[in-house]
Amino acid sequence: MKRSTIFKVVTIVAVVATLACALYIMAHRLGLSDELDFGAGAYYYADIPGFDKIVNTDSYSTNVPTWVHIVLFLAWGWLMYRLWVWIDGKGGK
Amino acid sequence: MKSNVSDLWKKEDWLAVWIGFVIILIACIAVLTGGFDFSAAKFSTWHLWEGVAEKKSLIAQLTGPFWGKLLKTFLVLCVVFTVGVKLQGGEVKKYIPAFLCLFVLAVIVRLISAEFTLNRYLEWAFWALIVGLLISNTVGVPAWLKPAIRTEFYIKTGLVIMGFSVLFSNIAKFGLYGLGIAWIVTPIVIIFMWWLGTKVFKIDNKPLVITLASATSVCGTSAAIATGAAANAKKDDLSVAISISIIFTILMMVFEPMIIKATGMSQLMGGALIGGTVDSTGAVVLAGNALGAEAEQAAVLVKSIQNILIGFIAFFVAIFFATRVDRTSDKKVGAGEIWYRFPKFIIGFFVASIVASFIILPLAGSSQVSAINGVLDQYKNWAFVLAFTSIGLDTNFKEIAKQMQGGKVLWLYIIGQVFNIALTLFAVWFLLSGVVFDIPQLDLFK
Repeated sequence: MKRSTIFKVVTIVAVVATLACALYIMAHRLGLSDELDFGAGAYYYADIPGFDKIVNTDSYSTNVPTWVHIVLFLAWGWLMYRLWVWIDGKGGK
Repeated sequence: MKSNVSDLWKKEDWLAVWIGFVIILIACIAVLTGGFDFSAAKFSTWHLWEGVAEKKSLIAQLTGPFWGKLLKTFLVLCVVFTVGVKLQGGEVKKYIPAFLCLFVLAVIVRLISAEFTLNRYLEWAFWALIVGLLISNTVGVPAWLKPAIRTEFYIKTGLVIMGFSVLFSNIAKFGLYGLGIAWIVTPIVIIFMWWLGTKVFKIDNKPLVITLASATSVCGTSAAIATGAAANAKKDDLSVAISISIIFTILMMVFEPMIIKATGMSQLMGGALIGGTVDSTGAVVLAGNALGAEAEQAAVLVKSIQNILIGFIAFFVAIFFATRVDRTSDKKVGAGEIWYRFPKFIIGFFVASIVASFIILPLAGSSQVSAINGVLDQYKNWAFVLAFTSIGLDTNFKEIAKQMQGGKVLWLYIIGQVFNIALTLFAVWFLLSGVVFDIPQLDLFK
């Protein structure tokens, strides 16, 4: 059998298995909670009913100032951007 | 290519920024003064076929105040978008009736996605695509409706409004532990998926690769929307990336907590792993909750940091595409050219986020910011529903199948997600297992 045919068959099996699994989960209501009135459909935190009670709770205290977090955040972002450019440039377009 | 001052009131990107700002400003005034109600219409959850004790019918919520709110929502959106279309040179006479029809379709979408069973697993973006696709692939889209199909305009406006809900203060919510798990891993996964998609699988459609990579590593739909807009992704790219992300989120929401429980991992580590890998925030809370209260809190902390990343990732993607992907010659792209190509709505997103984080939050407090976001959230959702219904109306099934590139796109997601889980697991073990650093204590569980 050709490699491309094997790839196609494996892909179709993966698609069918994934969809069957998702349908089974939905049909049997797996993963839901009686206390929480939402599901995976609340994709962003502002969509979750009462999200402020969940997200805006101060549940961890740190002695590290916020500005240190911001500096590290920006430094890592810049470094990763340079890495991305370097990897993209390797081996031609 | 040169930017003109008139771009500020003629170009779609800038107009999306101004419309977003106007809606944010009115919401702030309404909430902070308490002078008037600016909230948009929203369907409450209703039951169609569930045999539950407290069955809520759809009819019960269709009262006078609801219709009033719906009319107000229509008028606000119709006025701002019509002005925007007019300034872009569109015909108002053709736009208004077309927008009315699109709004009716958006109401149907929101009605469907408020149904109890349907909204548990599949978000409204999915239902909007389905409604649009059903129309375009059966009866077809009439020519008079086409003037209202302005997907990018609605998406960009929704993103500027969403910027207000992204609070920078969340960055320190879980200290350096949270930053390490959410931020160290995310860009590495994006770069890995970019390399895999463009160099190994040789997928030519680079906007699709980056949209899928962001959806996988950041936070599903919202990241896909922002990055797709920054990379000028086609409508089908967005449909494909979001559909894959939504379906796999259902699986991960159920299986990840099961596997974590079976391995005996601590709640803190399990929750952080879920927060860093499961795409949609609703699914993160549920999957964390399945492990326990501490896991739920850890999952939410990590996810709330990831949600801040959306704007930054979109910013870097926009710069990358302007300087490397979209350039037409081998010459270095100058600052003027970068500015010309840069999607300006990202500036609007950041300004909204900065105003909320550093002006409104310190001055008015978190409860007022939450109240403002409660109002804005519905406008954002309406803008996105209009956008996704437009995408569906503008797409046919054959095009979507073509975008899958013979299955390569699916495998890019699967391999990328496995890599994401492995790398996040390593970060979680490194930071939270107690082997290298002290195990942090969440305040509620001390």
